Amino acid sequence: MKKKYVYFFGSGGAEGRTDMKALLGGKGANIAEMTNLGIPVPPGFTISTEACNEYFKNNKRYPEGLWDEVEKNLARLEEMMGRKFGSNSQPLLVSVRSGARASMPGMMDTVLNLGLNKNTLKGIIEMTGNERFAYDAYRRFITMFSSVVLGIKKKKKKTENGSEVEINQFEEIMDEVKKKYNAELDTDLDVEALKLLVEKYKAVVKKETGKDFPEEPKEQLMMSVNAVFESWNNQRAITYRKLYSIPDNWGTAVNVQTMVFGNMGDTSGTGVAFTRNPATGEKKFYGEFLMNAQGEDVVAGIRTPQSIDELKERMPEVYKSLVEIYQKLENHYKDMQDIEFTIQDRKLYMLQTRTGKRTAAAAVKIAVEMVKEGLIDKRTAILRVEPEQLDQLLHPTVDPKAKVEVIAKGLPASPGAGIGKVVFTAESAQEMSSKGDIG
Amino acid sequence: MILVRQETSPEDIGGMNVAQGILTVRGGMTSHAAVVARGMGKCCVAGCKDVNIDEEKRQFRVNGNIVKEGDWITLDGSTGNIMLGKIKLIQPELSGNFAQLMKWADEIRKLNVRTNADTPHDAQVARNFGAEGIGLCRTEHMFFEGKRIDAVREMILSDTEKERRKALSKILPMQKGDFKEIFKVMDGYPVTIRLLDPPLHEFLPHTEEEIEALAKEMNVSIEKLKEKSNSLKEFNPMLGHRGCRLGITYPEIYEMQVQAIFEAACELAKNGKKIEPEIMIPLVGHINELKYTKERLIKVADEVMEKLGVKIKYMVGTMIELPRAAITADKIAAEAEFFSFGTNDLTQTTFGLSRDDAGNFLPFYIENKILPKDPFVAIDQDGVGELIKMGVEKGRAARAGLKVGICGEHGGEPSSVEFCHKIGLNYVSCSPFRVPIARLAAAHAVLKEGRADIISTTA
Repeated sequence: MKKKYVYFFGSGGAEGRTDMKALLGGKGANIAEMTNLGIPVPPGFTISTEACNEYFKNNKRYPEGLWDEVEKNLARLEEMMGRKFGSNSQPLLVSVRSGARASMPGMMDTVLNLGLNKNTLKGIIEMTGNERFAYDAYRRFITMFSSVVLGIKKKKKKTENGSEVEINQFEEIMDEVKKKYNAELDTDLDVEALKLLVEKYKAVVKKETGKDFPEEPKEQLMMSVNAVFESWNNQRAITYRKLYSIPDNWGTAVNVQTMVFGNMGDTSGTGVAFTRNPATGEKKFYGEFLMNAQGEDVVAGIRTPQSIDELKERMPEVYKSLVEIYQKLENHYKDMQDIEFTIQDRKLYMLQTRTGKRTAAAAVKIAVEMVKEGLIDKRTAILRVEPEQLDQLLHPTVDPKAKVEVIAKGLPASPGAGIGKVVFTAESAQEMSSKGDIG
Repeated sequence: MILVRQETSPEDIGGMNVAQGILTVRGGMTSHAAVVARGMGKCCVAGCKDVNIDEEKRQFRVNGNIVKEGDWITLDGSTGNIMLGKIKLIQPELSGNFAQLMKWADEIRKLNVRTNADTPHDAQVARNFGAEGIGLCRTEHMFFEGKRIDAVREMILSDTEKERRKALSKILPMQKGDFKEIFKVMDGYPVTIRLLDPPLHEFLPHTEEEIEALAKEMNVSIEKLKEKSNSLKEFNPMLGHRGCRLGITYPEIYEMQVQAIFEAACELAKNGKKIEPEIMIPLVGHINELKYTKERLIKVADEVMEKLGVKIKYMVGTMIELPRAAITADKIAAEAEFFSFGTNDLTQTTFGLSRDDAGNFLPFYIENKILPKDPFVAIDQDGVGELIKMGVEKGRAARAGLKVGICGEHGGEPSSVEFCHKIGLNYVSCSPFRVPIARLAAAHAVLKEGRADIISTTA
């Protein structure tokens, strides 16, 4: 039998499960699980880690049948969504994300709004009646695709005082255009400004790669899948794996998912949240969101996000569903979750859930309280706290709210913090101590 | 105080002990300052090359700032940051959820967790962290404190046994006092006391100036002091005149120590305290070394108990820190009532490498995966671990129910604790601040048994 490389998820059912992390990666396995739980997740499919491993074994060629499977799953997705990838009427756009078994910095991140070109752009405008939104999505797509798939790097530039700095050409153009249109934030840019951005971005691509920006959506998709595979073996990823003893043969999965848009206006948005406070462990929903924005905006800090509590005020219905979902997820996984969501015109979609990283203090509090809540047993609680982590808890620490002036940095040789008067010999330390000067 | 030094040496112990933190210009994560500070649970920022100490002006310069003696600074040993002034600190919260989790861990774990503690203060800290005894009480640290070093040096400079005994009699009451305090703090929990281990030259000054000063103070000629110092010099002190070799050639040292231990224990026992001293003889490689030493110690112990009219329960055992001791553990167990694996030295002697001289190649080895992990951080299970396993099996075959523990720095490292659980040790012993880590790691070890799905992230 031919090997299966692609796993579909959508409309309340998925071919994957949370325990298939080795095959589908952490992100893919959890998206499948959420779909099976009936949580609203934009439909799509996951290309397995085995496909990635085969790709490298085959001299960077897809294993037999992989692309056929991708096309079949794409067709299934089109049918489910009632849209068409690359069509000028009701076009389907997708996101492409990497996802290894363990979360790994250095891997190719995300391409959003894939499938956009001159034609499909018209389709999006027609479908949404929102020209500004369509061009905003387009300029984002070109930026992301150019840097993560085409590999257009930062440019070196001389400053006025003669020193050399690295600048991101897309950000530089963004700043120029903002200035030209007197816009403070990216959301202040109108259609005309966004059109100008798209034009200027494409010119950068032509100049840097010698080719036009790829128009054909399936070509865009294939290039992105390749870029995800390739990122498994970029220098940063290799170094990270070495550092944390992650085997090279794990490979990464690729998640292709229907786009939902948080940038469709003031009834849309995107956010990240933790089901409990990851710093203190307090049992309180904790997170941030941005209205009229796409995923990367929250993380990139382009605008200052709002606290999740404000979502309750702005969209009580959406907030209510978000609370129901996070509680469902925490009860299902029986651990604190780190979630990502997008609101498209008042409708909530979950994009990711994973076990949330936490401080030692939070780990202890969450573990003990979850036992008291009956979610986990004592044994599980004990295993939830790494012994080495306790070191953070046993010593005095610098108040994170304190204003500090760091005058130098050495090796962190023994944990904890201490205050005292400077002495230069052991004798004077003992002398001062015997005089009762404990400073 | 924050003690600011180029680097620290064993003589600085007393000053380090009263300081709130230690800052050094040279040295890495395994430098003397770092190791001692971790043991004491004090913060330490090491190897801060930007700091320029001007001993004469009693100040240091750092990145354009001048910090004078007596100025307040704050160290963060978790990040390596050095800050001006007094920064607000948050004290650890060890009750509530933390205490609850530790209680659950205690219910599950099978290993006992003891501490390495040389002072009543460290012993108390460790008790507060839940230590169930002392697995290693190093007596040499007591020799450095305050005025005692003078009596120790007097003893070293003595030419005859009689003179040595005279000097030792000055140290006796002080050691006795230390032991008494430590026994009191441990309140009935077992206390393993290791008799003097380091070579004698560690107690003598090294620089020309210090030698001059000491000669004046002790009223001996500089020449004599230098001669003595030279005669004690060794090519390889780690493998030299130390441990039981010292106790065998200078029996009066161990006799004084045992007298101090038993006088302290008997006096407390008279007042109804339960005391269980465990006398540990270091660096035994051949059974005859242990036999020879043990015989003499028992004699002293009997004398003291008779004189004070109390009988107490005690044990005489040994450190297993030489491969030969592990290989002949069955023979050694005929005399030793307990084993404590000194995994720091056992690692050095098994690999045949001196930790102090490993800086030029060990980091390269780790970086290039020639060694999977630093064997001084996590027990080398295939080599050193195999020796420990052999030692435990042979030892228990010769003496049923032989009590076995480890007392190296590994005793507080989670993957090593798991290993100790697997091979059936009775206890691990670690520095006071690692005690909770070892307690939790010991519980993890039980829960991970036969569960391949749980991968230790700290291994």
